[in-house]
Amino acid sequence: MAVKEELTGIVSPENVSENPETLGAYSRDLSFAKPIQPKAAVRPHNVDEVQALVAWANKTATPLVPVSSGPPRFHGDTIPGVPGAVIVDMSGMKNIMKIDRRNRVAIIEAGVTYPELQPELTRAGMRLTMPLIPRANKSIVASLLEREPTLIPRQQWTILDPLRCTEIVWGEGNVLRTGDAGNWPSMEFAFERKQSAVGSGGPAQTDFYRFVSAAQGSMGIVTWISVKCEVLPEPHKLYFVAADRLENLIDFTYKVLRFRFGDELLILNNTKLACIIGENPDQIKALMGKIPSWVALVGIAGRSILPQERVEFQEKDIADMAQSSGLQMTATIPGGQNGKVLDLILNVSREPYWKLTYRGGYQDILFITTLNRTPEFVKTMNSVANASGYPVNDIGVYLQPLHQGASCHCEFVLPYDRDNLEEAARMQQLFTRASQAMVEQGAFFSRPYGIWAKMAYERDTQTTRVLKKLKGIFDPNNIMNPGKLCF
Amino acid sequence: MVLKREIYKEFENIVGANNISDDEALLDSYRYPLMHTAIHLGPYYRVYTPRGEAVLLPGSAEEVQAIVKLCNKHKVRVKASSTFWSAWGYPMEDNTIQLDMRRMNRILEIDEKNMFAVVEPHVIGATLQAEAMKHGLNTHIHGPGASCSCLASATALNGLGPDTAYLGHHSENMIGAEWVMPDGEMVRVGSVGSGLGWFYSEGPGPSLKGLIRGMVGSMGSMGVFTKCAIKLHPWPGPAPFPTDGRPPAYKAVLPDNLMSYTLGFPDWEAWADSCYLIWEAGIGYVAHRQFNMFGRDLKGAMVRILSDPTKTLGDIVELLKDPEVQKMTEDMKRDYQIVLAGMTPRDIEWQEKVLDRILEKTGGWKVEGMLEPNLHDWSLLYMLRLGHKNLNLVYGGGYDGCFGIGGTPDFATTGEYPRVEQATDFKKEWEKKGNIVAAGGDGMMGGIGGMGGGGMTLWENFTHFDPHDKASTEGTYEFFNATSEYGKQKGWGPGMEKMNDYARWTDGRTTPKEIRNKILSAGGQPEALRYQRKFYETFNPNDLGDSYYRTLD
Amino acid sequence: MALEDYLPDMERCSQCSYCKWIPFDQVKSWRFADGCPSIAYNNFLSYSARGRFAVALSLLNKQSTYTDRVVDIIYKCTTCGSCDVSDKICRYNLEPLEMIQELKIRAVEDDQVLPAHTAVIEHLKKENNMMMAPAAERGDWAKGLDVKIIPVEKAEVLFHAGCNYSNDKDLQATARTALTILKNAGVDVGIMGNEELCCGGRAYDTGYKEEFTRLAEKNIKAWKAAGVKTIVTPCADGYHTIMRLYPRLGVNFEVYHTVQYFDRLIKEGKIKLSKSVPMRVTYHDPCHLGRRGEPYIPWEGKEKKVKGQVIVYEPRKPRYNGAWGVYEPPRDILKSIPGIELVEMERIKEYAWCCGAGGGTREAYPDFSNWTATERIEEAKATGAEALVTACPWCERNFIDAVNSTGADIKVMDITDLIKQAI
Repeated sequence: MAVKEELTGIVSPENVSENPETLGAYSRDLSFAKPIQPKAAVRPHNVDEVQALVAWANKTATPLVPVSSGPPRFHGDTIPGVPGAVIVDMSGMKNIMKIDRRNRVAIIEAGVTYPELQPELTRAGMRLTMPLIPRANKSIVASLLEREPTLIPRQQWTILDPLRCTEIVWGEGNVLRTGDAGNWPSMEFAFERKQSAVGSGGPAQTDFYRFVSAAQGSMGIVTWISVKCEVLPEPHKLYFVAADRLENLIDFTYKVLRFRFGDELLILNNTKLACIIGENPDQIKALMGKIPSWVALVGIAGRSILPQERVEFQEKDIADMAQSSGLQMTATIPGGQNGKVLDLILNVSREPYWKLTYRGGYQDILFITTLNRTPEFVKTMNSVANASGYPVNDIGVYLQPLHQGASCHCEFVLPYDRDNLEEAARMQQLFTRASQAMVEQGAFFSRPYGIWAKMAYERDTQTTRVLKKLKGIFDPNNIMNPGKLCF
Repeated sequence: MVLKREIYKEFENIVGANNISDDEALLDSYRYPLMHTAIHLGPYYRVYTPRGEAVLLPGSAEEVQAIVKLCNKHKVRVKASSTFWSAWGYPMEDNTIQLDMRRMNRILEIDEKNMFAVVEPHVIGATLQAEAMKHGLNTHIHGPGASCSCLASATALNGLGPDTAYLGHHSENMIGAEWVMPDGEMVRVGSVGSGLGWFYSEGPGPSLKGLIRGMVGSMGSMGVFTKCAIKLHPWPGPAPFPTDGRPPAYKAVLPDNLMSYTLGFPDWEAWADSCYLIWEAGIGYVAHRQFNMFGRDLKGAMVRILSDPTKTLGDIVELLKDPEVQKMTEDMKRDYQIVLAGMTPRDIEWQEKVLDRILEKTGGWKVEGMLEPNLHDWSLLYMLRLGHKNLNLVYGGGYDGCFGIGGTPDFATTGEYPRVEQATDFKKEWEKKGNIVAAGGDGMMGGIGGMGGGGMTLWENFTHFDPHDKASTEGTYEFFNATSEYGKQKGWGPGMEKMNDYARWTDGRTTPKEIRNKILSAGGQPEALRYQRKFYETFNPNDLGDSYYRTLD
Repeated sequence: MALEDYLPDMERCSQCSYCKWIPFDQVKSWRFADGCPSIAYNNFLSYSARGRFAVALSLLNKQSTYTDRVVDIIYKCTTCGSCDVSDKICRYNLEPLEMIQELKIRAVEDDQVLPAHTAVIEHLKKENNMMMAPAAERGDWAKGLDVKIIPVEKAEVLFHAGCNYSNDKDLQATARTALTILKNAGVDVGIMGNEELCCGGRAYDTGYKEEFTRLAEKNIKAWKAAGVKTIVTPCADGYHTIMRLYPRLGVNFEVYHTVQYFDRLIKEGKIKLSKSVPMRVTYHDPCHLGRRGEPYIPWEGKEKKVKGQVIVYEPRKPRYNGAWGVYEPPRDILKSIPGIELVEMERIKEYAWCCGAGGGTREAYPDFSNWTATERIEEAKATGAEALVTACPWCERNFIDAVNSTGADIKVMDITDLIKQAI
C-alpha cells in the first residue's frame, strides 16, 4: 500500500500530503543542516491519530519527525535526519482545552501559538510569559519543550517553567500524562473536584516530561501541555539601564535578581536592541549607532493587590540599585522609548521575523552559562568574528538570566545575507569556529542542535550512555526523529 | 545471613576497618521501629526493619562507586541513608548492606552570585542555612525540618516544606547531581556532567533529572547520590540569627523587615481565597499551617508551653482552661502562619499593606495572641529555621499523617461540608476511643505553597499516639485503616497513611507481590510504573534496590 | 531507676537525630554544629543517644549480647548531656542522659568493664581519689595556707577542692588561689585536708554507681558530723554531684561553685577587681556547671496520660534541659574584670561543646578525649581569643593537654586565676 493510503487510514485525506513543494518546505530550514526530503507529511488532530501514526511508524519502520511551529525554522531539528521520514505536523491541534483563572493554568494543544492563546488569557485576566519576540506561528508547546528562555527569571522555579503538565505519545506508542495531569483519570475528573494541572512532578518517581524537553522530537510527540500563567499585569512598565561596559550591567542585574525584584529582566547589546526596534535595515543601522553598547531591560509589573504601589516602590528600589552600580534607570534611551519597546518585547514578531530584517538571514549560537561569565564569551565571539572578517558590530547579543538567576542563556545572533553564497559559506565556517571556541571556553549547549550535538555529548559520555538507554526504552525502534542529538 | 568474611574484607578494603561494622547490636541501631512514625505505613507494634549485613561509612564518591560495583559483583543489596529520619532509609530485606553517608558532609561550594550551593549527603538544612545566610542567601528547609539531609530530599525523597512558595520545592531547587547508579556507573546530571559547573540541571538534550526523581525520588532504591547542587534564595536578614531565650523557647529578635503572623479566617473559602491572593501578589517568605499539627483544640495551649521554658506538657490541662488561650485557640481555628521578609524597607511596607488588604478582602485577621512579642519572636525563629519540627512527636512519641488531601486550595475547602471538615469530624470520632491524642479532629498541617510561587496546598492530618503503648499503637493502626476506607468511599483515594504499604509490609519487609501489584495498579497511571520497571531493569540489572521503587510488570 | 525503666524512652525515641547536633536554632555555622562528641568522632549511629537507645533495647530484648563493640559504644560517651538538651527541644518525655548512665551502670553490674576504668576505680576504692594518688597526699595542695581544717575546727563554709585540684600539681595553685580569695573576702572557710574524699561523681558517670554511693555516703556522713551546711567547690563535677546526685540519697547541702560565690562577693563589694587584665578571652561552659548544673528539684511520681495519649507526670515533673544552668555568674565575673574582653564561642551555655574529659573517656579513650578537647580549642581560636577560660579542673586539664599535643597558640586558664590578677 502506498504511504498516502496507509496514512489516510489514520488521518483524513486532506491532512496527508505528498506534494513535493509542501515536502520541500519541510526538508530544509534556515540553518546549515543538510536538506532531506521527507516522503510525506501528516497533520493529526487528536491524540488517537498521533498514537495510531506512531503505531504505524513502528510497524513500518518509518521515521517520524514532529513539527509544531510554522516556518521559518532555524535549527535543523525538524529536518529529517534520514530519508523516508514522515513529518508529523502538529500545527493543526489548535484546541485551547482549558483556561483556569483561579489556578492560573491554561491547557493547550501542540499547535496553539502565542497570538492564539494570549487574547484568550487576556479575557480571563492573565497572560503567559513568552520568549523574546517569537514569530507569530511559533507553537507554545515547541517553544517550551525546547527550553527557549522566557523573559521573567523571577517567575522561573524550574528551567522548564512555565511548562507544567504534558500528554506524551512515546515512540513505542503508549500515551502518558505527566505532572498533576497524571494523577487523574481525566482532566474533566480533576476539574470537577476543583483540581488543576498545576504541578509538573511525576507521575511516580520520574519526571517524564523532562525526557521530551530539548529532545527535538526524538522521544515522542507531545499532544498537549498545561502552562502556569501570570496575572495580567496592570500597570506594566519598562525601564532601561544602559552601560558602556557589560560588567557594570551584570553587577546591576545580579542586584535585581538577588532581591527577586522586577519582572522582565534581560540584557541586550545595541545591535540586538536595534534589530528589535528598527523596522528595516537602515533604521537598524542607524539605531545601532545611537543605542548604548549594553542595555538591561527591566520590566516592572503590578498585579492583583496594590499593583500601582508595587510598581512605584520597585521603581525607586531598582533605580537605587542602578545608581549603586554607577548606572541610571531611565524611561528612554537614545533610539528607544519604554512604552514602545515594552510593546515590542511582549508581543510576537512583525513579519518577516525580526531577526531576519537586518540582513535577510542569520545564524545564532546559543548556550547556557552563568551571567558573570558572559563577558568572556562576548570577548571570544568578537575575537573569532574578527579573525573571520565578520563585522563585530553586527553581532547581536542577548543575555537572559534563567531560573531566578542561577544560570544565563547566552545568545549571539550573526546576521548575514543568505542569498550571497560566498557570505553564507564564510558564515558556516565562522559558525563552526565560533561554536567550537564557545565549547572550549565552557559553553553548555543544553539544546544541542546540529553540529553542537557532537560537541556536547563528547564532553559528557556518561549522560550520553544513559540517554541512549532511555531512548531504547521510549523509542526502541528509533522511529522518532532519528539522527538527532546522540541518537 | 551474614556476609562471608572474604566479602566483608573486600568492603573493608574500600572504606577501612574503622568505617565498617557487622556487630549485631550496632546493626540494631540501624533498624527502624515500625511502631513509630514510619511515614507512612503501620504503625506495627514492636516490628522493626530487617537487620542489615553490615554498615559502611563511605568517605567519598569514589568509595561509594567501588562499594556499589562490589555489590553488583556479589549481588548484595545496598541502601544508603544520610540522616535516617524515617523507614525509607533502612533495609527491606536480608542480604543488604547499609550505607551511612554521614562522613560525606561537606558544603563544597556556595556560589553567592548565582545563588546555589553544592553539598554532600550529610549536609543538613540547619548547617546549609547557616552558611548560606553568611552570603545573604537562604536554603529551602523541607518539611521534616532542619535536621534532615538537603541532598536526600532533593534527589531521593520529596522536598516540600513550609517555605516552598518562596524558597522553592527541592525538586525545583536541585540543579545538578552526582549519581552512582545502581549498575555502578557514575553520571553527573546537568551542566556538571560536561565539567562546566553546577548551574544548570537539564541536558544536554533530554534531562536526566527526570530519571532521578519525579513527585518523589527513588528512596534509596536506585543507587546513591553523592553530591548535588541546591539553588539558594535571597535572605534579607542577619547572619547568624540573633537567637535569644532559654531552651526550648528560643526566639529571634530580628529586624522589622522580618515579621511573623498567624492568620485566621472566618470560613474555609476565605482561607483558600487568601492563599490564591498571596500567591498572586507574590508576598510571603514562609507560609504554612504549622502549629495546627498540635491539633485544632490544643494548639493555643501548646504554643504557650513551647514558648515558655518554665512550662511542660503537664501544664496543658490548666492552660486549656485559660480564657486567653481559649480565645487564641478559637481565633486560630482556620489558620496558617506566614512570615513576611522585606528585601528593602519599601518592600516590607508594601507587603504589609498587601497582607492587610488580603485580610480585608477575605475577612481574615492576624491572630492577636500570636502578636505578643515573645510569641512573635518565637514563631519567627521556628518558621525560619524549622528547628523544632519533631514537635510532631511531642505528645506521646509517635505520629503519622493521614488523609493527605493535596492539590489546589479549593479541593479541600469548598462546599457546604468541605473535605477538611469531613476529615476533621471523622478523626474526632476516633479520638474518643482514647488511642490517639484528642486534639480536636483537625491536626491538619501543610504548606501554603507546595511548589515555587504557590499553586497547591497539602492537608496532612497529624495523628499522635504512644508507640510504647500497644493499645495506642494498634488503635492508631485501626484508625488509619478506617481512614483509608473512608477516603476510598469518598473518592479521595486511600490517603497518605497507606502511602508506603506498596513497599513495606506488616513484618517490616517487602510487601508481598500480589498485594503490591494490586495497590500499584489502582494508582493513576500504571503505565508510568511499567516504565519504571524498565528503568529498574536497565539501570539496576542485579536487582540491588528495593520495593520503594514503584514498578509494575 | 533501672535500665528497664527506660524501655518506654527506648521505644518512644523517634529517631529524629536531634541528639547529634546542638539545638538547630543555635547553629551558626557548618563547622561548629555538632553537639555530641561521641557520634561526631565515631560516626556510627550507635554512638548517639538515639543509637544507644537502640543498642540498649537490643540488649534488653536479647537480640544481641555484649561484644567489644557494644562495650565501646556504652563507654565512649562523655555523658556531657548535649543530647539531653537537644532532644528536649521537642520532647518532654525522654531522658537520654539518664538512660545512658543506666546503661553504663548495667554494663558494670554485668562485669563488662574496661581495664582502664578498673584500674582507676580500684584505686578509688583504696585511696578515695580519681587521680591515682595516695590518699595521704590529698590535703598537700593547701600546705602553708592558714586555713581551718574541718572537723577539727568549725567553719561556716566547707571548701571542697575535689580530686583534680587536690592532686594535679599543675592545677593546685588555682585551688590555693580560690581559697585565699575566699578567705581574704572574709568568708569563714575551712577544708577537710587529707580527710577530703572524692565526691564520686565521675565514678557515677562512668557507671560505677556502687562506688559513687559508697563515697557519697561517706562524704555525707563526714559533713553531717562536722556540721557542714554550705559547701563551695571550684570543681564543676563536684558541684554537680553534690547539687544533683546527693539529694537522691536524701540530703541537701547548700552547694556553690566558686564562680557563683565569687560573683556574689564581687557584687557585694567584698572582692574588688581593680587591676586591669588586658586580654581577649572566651569562656567554656563546663557541662557539669552548665547544662548539668541546674538546681535539683525533688520529684517522685508517675506517668499518666491526658487527652488520650499526651504523656504527663503526676505530680508535675521537673524538666532538666539546661535552661537553668550556671551561665551568667562566670560571665558576670569576666565582664567585671577591667580590661577583659569576653568573646563568645559559637557553642555556649546549654549547647556548649564538651571538653572531652567526662564519663571515663579521658581514662579509657585518650584519643577521643583529646580530639574532643581539640575541637573546642579550634572553636576558641576561631573567636580570636588569647585565652580559653573555664571553671572546671577536668576541662582545664584536658584543654591543657590538647594545647600541648597540638601546639595551639592559646592559653588555658581558670577564671579564678583571672580574678587573682585583677585583685
